[in-house]
Amino acid sequence: MTVPEVRQHPEHLEWVGKSIPRVEDPKFLRGRGNYIDDYEVPNMLEVAVARSTMAHAKILSIDTSAAEAVPGVVAIVTSENVTDHVNPMPDFGPSPDKHTWYCLAVDKVRYMGEGVAVVAATSRAIAEDAAELIEVEYEPLEPLTDLLEALEDDAPLIHEALESNIPFQRNFTFGDVDGDFAAADVIVRDTLWWGRSGGQPLETVGAVADYDAATGMMTIHVNSMSFTHFLFLLANTLRVPSNKLDLQPHPSGGSFGAKFFEVKTATIAAMMARITGRPVKFMQDRLDNIANGDHHGSDRYYEVELAAKADGTLLSTRYKVVDNYGAYIQFGVGQHGNSLAQAVGPYRMSSIGYDLTAVLTNKCQQGAYRGFGSEVGNWILERMVDLMARELDMDPVDIRRMNFIQPDQFPYFIPTGNVYDSGDYEAVLNKTMELSDYKGWRERQAEMRAEGRHIGIGVCTCQERSVFSATEFWFWFDEPVAAPVTSAPESVTLKVDAMGAVTATLYSNASWGNSPETMVAQFVAEELGVEPEDVSVVYGGSNQGMPATGPGGSRFTIMVGGAVEGASQSIRAKAAKIAAHLLEANEDDLVWENGGFAVRGSPDQRKELAEIALAAHMFKHSLPEEIETGLEASHVQDHPYTTMPNPERTNLGVFYPFVGHASHVVVVEVDPETGRVEFLDYAAVHDCGTVVNPRSVGGQVIGGTVQGLGSTLYEEFLYDEDGVLRTPSFAEYLIPSAMDSPTLRVGHNETPSPYTPYGIKGGGEAGRMMAPSAICAAIDDALGIRIRRLPATPERIVEMVDAKD
Amino acid sequence: MKSPPFEYHRAGSAAEAAGLLGELGFDARILAGGQSLIPLMNLRLAAPGHLVDITGAPDLAGCGANGGGLHIGAGARQRTVELHADTLATAPVLADAISNAGQVPVRHQGTVVGSIAHADPSAEMPAAFKAQGGTVTAQGAGGTREIASEDFFEGYFTTALEEGELVTAVTVDAWPAGTGHGFLEFSVTAESWPIALAAVLIHTSGGAIDRASVVLGGVAEVPLRRPEAEAVLVGAEPGAEAFEAAAEAAATGIEPLSDSFGSGAYRKKLARVLTRRALTTAAERAGGDA
Repeated sequence: MTVPEVRQHPEHLEWVGKSIPRVEDPKFLRGRGNYIDDYEVPNMLEVAVARSTMAHAKILSIDTSAAEAVPGVVAIVTSENVTDHVNPMPDFGPSPDKHTWYCLAVDKVRYMGEGVAVVAATSRAIAEDAAELIEVEYEPLEPLTDLLEALEDDAPLIHEALESNIPFQRNFTFGDVDGDFAAADVIVRDTLWWGRSGGQPLETVGAVADYDAATGMMTIHVNSMSFTHFLFLLANTLRVPSNKLDLQPHPSGGSFGAKFFEVKTATIAAMMARITGRPVKFMQDRLDNIANGDHHGSDRYYEVELAAKADGTLLSTRYKVVDNYGAYIQFGVGQHGNSLAQAVGPYRMSSIGYDLTAVLTNKCQQGAYRGFGSEVGNWILERMVDLMARELDMDPVDIRRMNFIQPDQFPYFIPTGNVYDSGDYEAVLNKTMELSDYKGWRERQAEMRAEGRHIGIGVCTCQERSVFSATEFWFWFDEPVAAPVTSAPESVTLKVDAMGAVTATLYSNASWGNSPETMVAQFVAEELGVEPEDVSVVYGGSNQGMPATGPGGSRFTIMVGGAVEGASQSIRAKAAKIAAHLLEANEDDLVWENGGFAVRGSPDQRKELAEIALAAHMFKHSLPEEIETGLEASHVQDHPYTTMPNPERTNLGVFYPFVGHASHVVVVEVDPETGRVEFLDYAAVHDCGTVVNPRSVGGQVIGGTVQGLGSTLYEEFLYDEDGVLRTPSFAEYLIPSAMDSPTLRVGHNETPSPYTPYGIKGGGEAGRMMAPSAICAAIDDALGIRIRRLPATPERIVEMVDAKD
Repeated sequence: MKSPPFEYHRAGSAAEAAGLLGELGFDARILAGGQSLIPLMNLRLAAPGHLVDITGAPDLAGCGANGGGLHIGAGARQRTVELHADTLATAPVLADAISNAGQVPVRHQGTVVGSIAHADPSAEMPAAFKAQGGTVTAQGAGGTREIASEDFFEGYFTTALEEGELVTAVTVDAWPAGTGHGFLEFSVTAESWPIALAAVLIHTSGGAIDRASVVLGGVAEVPLRRPEAEAVLVGAEPGAEAFEAAAEAAATGIEPLSDSFGSGAYRKKLARVLTRRALTTAAERAGGDA
């Protein structure tokens, strides 16, 4: 693909840019969201999973006799016979045959919480009663949780077939790294740790599977797997033909990436439905979700070097990173593609070295979590820029500002090959300085410090890449293991019925607590001149569906916007033909305005969309021969801007091209004796191009920032050295509530993308991609310490203070 | 997270509850607010075969001043006790403790006596009760007996109650007018379990402290009285020097365990900081010569 055409965005937009109330609100606020756990089918069974109590152990035997005797138990599948029923689950890593992943542990358990048996019973309570009676005899093996120990020669092997604990490794050099380091006046080095946190949706993952033995059709109602485009992989797991699998999407009570391609829940429900011949529900409880939910986030150790000139000009960064993927690989390769998409941040740097080692250990596997790895890259880079500022005795704002890529340099290709489409970083920073009253806070800080208070101010300037290309799933490898896939499409069908009412059908599982229906309604209203609340938005099942990928990598709004735009163009083209006939005018003389066609220069001579639609549906034989009945169009929006990696992988091509930006300023007061961090102020300005709905994107920024706060200060899936998960529920895995959160002041800057509909850039992962950098800088500033490991728990803060004294 | 099967019984009076407990033995548990017991059952960490619900028993519902002390019936909800004028007058340290426990909706459901009988050594109400002092009224088949707060807590989730006994009420002893109190806890998030807490009371006379109580939570298997700290305080002039010395004494010799919230060493440090700060608050509230 070549560079897409630069768009001329319309000067006036009727609906895009307005904070209309979410069209989803009425159903969700009334408790009529049709969530999966409310979905009931006659004769339905429920399942519970018996989970491993050991981190690493050979399974010697499983005795289900007591469980089978429990009244109400219908079927049990265990580690010993699961391979009779299903194939392995999808694995996007290299050599999937060397870390084979089933919905239950096979031969041995590889983390505490891995499933060893499934019980289907007439109620969930009975299933749990029976699961508790399943006796598993284990032979304990040496547990391994530490990512550096996993690299040692004598480390226990998680997958013997792999013959090491390294599923993939790659050392990339983009640009003249050695030359830039040789030319540097100053090099700062540090080691940094990003702890393992994860998205915590209020609603866990659930599926209701129903197998029709007569037709062979497997229907699964799910609140996971936005990715309908790749469902043939699930069909293979379930041993059903790809055209006999139908996923019916249900809205999800939050995902944050955690449900992106979660296939295990549906696999288990479908397996038990086929065995029992009855509909089966599997609704994870919180214990299932935390221990065995396949959605833990990045878990990384970095050795980083940043090179600069004496005046603060940044030159190059060298990263050596080890990432602890847990027991299996899902689509783990994407997490570092995300880091590479914006590896230089908003700064001009001419080279990047990136040496990645992925390791497997006795922890639950990684999935996606808001930022999908790029939030870690942002934190690392901002930590290093702060360190450089300290080394050069520069103001942290000044060093950032002087290194910004300038507005006239866009489109700007970074050393990895990705492009930044547009931006105005200085404008965002200036707005943030103003919104936060940065200068005023610096003055107040001096006064408050004189009173003995520990006040800190932190600043960050970070990127938010959006709309991933599928190339990032394989550009790590010389020879792509699966296939060098290039497409991640999104589709929509628009139907204008005989009354002129519009129905939009979405084909991915798009409702994750975001606002997909509001976005689509605003786009349809903009394109077809109807009122947003009059647009009916429905979801198609995958079997009759069109290619779709759904929310992920902040892609959905842009992609579905393109799909609506394309379908609307087709509808208007057909409507123009009909209108020309009805108005007895030449089609070329018609103009589309205010939801209808009018004859140019004669605004009274017009036909509304509803009139045209009525003719299209009812009066075929009054219309020209070539016009078919109906007014409906579908459009597949493919990725607007993807280029291929080169064979040497010294350039990865364009794979995440629409790049937003944000700056946060946070003011904290820290209690050095207890480590408590209190937020005095928090200001965030985001630039995600043209904003479709300021209120809803503002909500995304607030939610994402609070999640970033959790990852920074206390959230961690904590495994001890024996591999015991010490945070199995929300009693131990701590998430911030409103009471722990600052009152955010959010501002927007709009630098439209030249390549997307209306100039939109993705904004859904914002907040979490910035907050850790700004909060850490503020705590450092308050106490004169340097945070190098997340989460920076109160205890760790106190230890740093004590170490300083 | 579904509870194992159990049988539900509803007791109309203390005597009926005691009768049911006597009949059912250790397999039965008292259900009051259920804010601790029900989660434990849903996590399958507790599996009682029988629950005896006492929230409908009128003779267990009361709360109020009683002969100079504060009487709290086993059915009295935390929020009721927290806001009760007699609590604020007689046992404000308990009101402070309750206000730190869970969120308001939880406190509308949970009971004070239930929390004390549950005997979690990290919990607020047991520590505050022990700090101010009082008695537990236990009723069993053999009748009623009184247990001093000092003797009630025996270990993790373990009390001096015997098989077949339930707590029908606790009585908190009054302290003289002019007593100052302090209650402070540290938790990582606003809603999470406290890592450590301090409940203190001091009374002064003639410019010196003549009576002091220092109890720590989250640092031992019971709410832990710190007599060494009390000894430092009694006779001393209230002020930073005495409070630092008392805090040091309170944190010396304790050996808290480590868990996912914090190490033993961190708890120990928190114990010292919270004790010092709680004493400072108590001194500000103390009325001086009585």
